[in-house]
Amino acid sequence: MKRAIEGRELITLDLHGPLVQGTYHRARDISSATNDKPHLGIVFLNSLSLPRAATGDSAVYWADCLAACGYPTFRIDLPGLGDSDGKLPKDLLEFINSGGFAFGAAQKVRELVERFDLPGVIIVGHCAGAVSALFAAAESDVCKGLVLLDVYFHLPQAVRPKVRQKLSAWALNNRLGRFMSNVYDQLKKISLSVRGSKPPNNANFPLLRCWRRITSTGLPILILKAPARKATGTKPRKGDFDYLDYILKMVRDRNQVTLTLTEGTDHSFANRLGRNAVQQEMETWLKSHFPLTQAQPPRLRLGSRIPLASEVNPFVSSK
Amino acid sequence: MCDQCPDTFVKPQIESIPQSQLALGEEAGYFEVAGTHLYTVLHRVSEPLARVLLVGPFASERQNSYLPWVRWARYLAARRFEVLRYDYRGVGESLGRFEEATFKDWSDDLQVLGEWFMNREPALPLLVHGLEIGGLLASSSFQRGMGNALLLWSPPADANQALRSTLLRWVGLEQLLKPGAERRSAGDYIRELEQGKSIEVEGYQWSARLWRDAFTWKLPAEIINASDAGVGQRPVRVVKLPKEAAPLVKGGFVGADEVKDFDWLFAENAKWIQAQFDLCERGADEASN
Repeated sequence: MKRAIEGRELITLDLHGPLVQGTYHRARDISSATNDKPHLGIVFLNSLSLPRAATGDSAVYWADCLAACGYPTFRIDLPGLGDSDGKLPKDLLEFINSGGFAFGAAQKVRELVERFDLPGVIIVGHCAGAVSALFAAAESDVCKGLVLLDVYFHLPQAVRPKVRQKLSAWALNNRLGRFMSNVYDQLKKISLSVRGSKPPNNANFPLLRCWRRITSTGLPILILKAPARKATGTKPRKGDFDYLDYILKMVRDRNQVTLTLTEGTDHSFANRLGRNAVQQEMETWLKSHFPLTQAQPPRLRLGSRIPLASEVNPFVSSK
Repeated sequence: MCDQCPDTFVKPQIESIPQSQLALGEEAGYFEVAGTHLYTVLHRVSEPLARVLLVGPFASERQNSYLPWVRWARYLAARRFEVLRYDYRGVGESLGRFEEATFKDWSDDLQVLGEWFMNREPALPLLVHGLEIGGLLASSSFQRGMGNALLLWSPPADANQALRSTLLRWVGLEQLLKPGAERRSAGDYIRELEQGKSIEVEGYQWSARLWRDAFTWKLPAEIINASDAGVGQRPVRVVKLPKEAAPLVKGGFVGADEVKDFDWLFAENAKWIQAQFDLCERGADEASN
């Protein structure tokens, strides 16, 4: 058995807390073109309960490509997930939505930075992993940027009641059902217009606060959005609160956040179209914000520490 | 966040995550097979009683059942079984291209890995355990003489049946997400495969060859009829997992089932494994007498 093969190495992060397993995709050597400066690392976090390879092994593909572009890339299993040690709480989704992985992820990211002598990292997360990435960024002083795939800012139910599931299936496959679904959307739209710009009660308010704090430091963020049923572009389904619009309005410098619709894919981004598009978007964004000739992002206020989420948000643990 | 926003969020108690005492015994590595490397995790234990080779979930099933599968490996390791689990070539952490791999490749890889595992010191009895399509591959190796006992969880009659159920589940999900005009039925995809085209299922490229070959990878009649009698005095157990065993079987909801308690399943099967190796040892003693 080998721990390393060409281009890849299995790593164990064992300094703090549970043992965390990961895969390191070594960067293609382009040091001659980049003044031998160490490059920012890219770290992929798990999406909900998925192992670090993600759906259809899409994260493996992205990591290979980013490493080939010169960025050392890491995929880690957060404590309790994949091959890592640790005990997961019974309600994983609630745990993640409350920032349960923030401290552990930030700790392990720091360990990576120290071990591989990186000037910092970009954290990448998909869906629930994007929520963890945001919370972790607030806990981390080495996170220099975020890539968030289909991030959400509400508190979804882990399992929808059976009646609701049956109703959705009926609405999908039946002409009358589709009509009723459209009526329902219209009613929701009216209710939304009455409420104004205020987020609904099931918004993840600690996460929204976390967003505000993080963006106030100038951290560059790339948001990729997959097409969704009954949604147009990056806009949500009629009657649903437009969280992306809401969070973008919080940002002072609009260039700090890049929002892109990834056409031809679904929520997993795992099909060929999706993974290629994500790859291209990430590469373009990285080259623009973190060119390999420069180890630090130009827009980041050097020396300014991102405040800890626990300082900002009483709901995030300061363990 | 504006002050007028209601803060109705109630954070649950986050338990500290204790470090497992078994953690030091898990050794991940790349195992070289013809033309590529397989990702393997060896669960080492002190003074092992027997070895268990886990032939796990196939392709897109891997992501759903990974957590309970790892927990099963740890459960066995905690009972002094040395366990080896791995990813198929072209899947997960293993290298290779899924679209180029064949069932024969996956079977050959298992054979090589199994031989390496069997030949480890000290010499110990080996149980081969397969889940779904893994059960078919495990059965094939067992028929060729690998292992002292065989445990199968929900093996399909043939590999195509398992691919078909994966396709149906995926198409169902797609239909929930796509607008009517873009929706395609499972029949549409199957027709494409039968016409020699490739399709993409949850990020994996299914070739027409994969679909065709899948019909020929069947659960051997010898195994189906073995029940408690075993094959050539080697015990065999085939368990059809109930839907409560999701996500080890299809039908669960990703994100809701992974953390649930599987002790009811693990305890019963671990007990069976222990019993078989006691029987093996007794049988050997009786033979020598």
